[in-house]
Amino acid sequence: MPDDDPPFDLVGCLDRVRQRDQTAARELVDHLYPLVIRIVRSHLPRRVAEEDLSQEIFLKMFTRLAQYQGAVPFSHWVSRIAVTTCIDHLRAQKRRPEFRWADLSETEAEVLDNVLTNENDVPANDAMAAHELVHKLFDQLKPDDQLVIRMLDLEQKTIAEISAITGWNPSLIKVRAFRARRKLQKLFQELQRTERK
Amino acid sequence: MNAHQPNHPWSRLTHAARQVSDDRVVAAPFGFATRLAARAMAQEQQVVSLLERFAFRALGTACGLALLSVAVNYSVLTTAPFSAEEELNQDDPVAVLLDT
Repeated sequence: MPDDDPPFDLVGCLDRVRQRDQTAARELVDHLYPLVIRIVRSHLPRRVAEEDLSQEIFLKMFTRLAQYQGAVPFSHWVSRIAVTTCIDHLRAQKRRPEFRWADLSETEAEVLDNVLTNENDVPANDAMAAHELVHKLFDQLKPDDQLVIRMLDLEQKTIAEISAITGWNPSLIKVRAFRARRKLQKLFQELQRTERK
Repeated sequence: MNAHQPNHPWSRLTHAARQVSDDRVVAAPFGFATRLAARAMAQEQQVVSLLERFAFRALGTACGLALLSVAVNYSVLTTAPFSAEEELNQDDPVAVLLDT
């Protein structure tokens, strides 16, 4: 079915929002919601509701709208606000002290045991457990490192894409990725040393 | 072994994790945008009115201080000052010597 909707007039909408047009503000939120909610869902800290976090991001966007000069695409500018807000929330929550076999479900422990002891791929029906496991491992990383490695390894974004979304320069992203991988490496070595109970 | 090598446990875990697709709806919940737009506009207006109030208060205070300083120094302003020539002569040592 062809898409008959006219393209969204972002420039016109932003002009109207600056003139405090509430309808334009609503249209802008509707237009940007998918972008913001994807970022929020990827980096959602524990115990924070996704709707609360996305609302906070949009309110920040409206407050800072006068500062937007058009140097970067508007979607990148909003992404940076979303990413920064998520990182602030991740920083505010305490990191889990350590990653232990005992904290894993039976399936997660099995998946981890398999990847540590053999070189076979994880079976397709264990994908959800692998997904949960990866998120538990992310919790062991610093928020900035976590964000970089999540985008690189899980969302398969390029360094340039991450740079556009976060506003960080490529060297910093590489350093953060290196730091995250080193920490993961240590974690795996530790897990291999400790036996599954 | 590095964590970004394909046979590393991390690589195999993330490869498996990527198979899980996120099928959740990405459209804004009903009423979310309306509620948020109203709140954002109200918030903006509040900030603007706060600024306006402070700006007018500052302007009023500045005018008051200006009038007060004129009133306090009124007598000085109304008395005839030295003429420009006298004032110059007083400060100029050569003019003082020539006068004597």
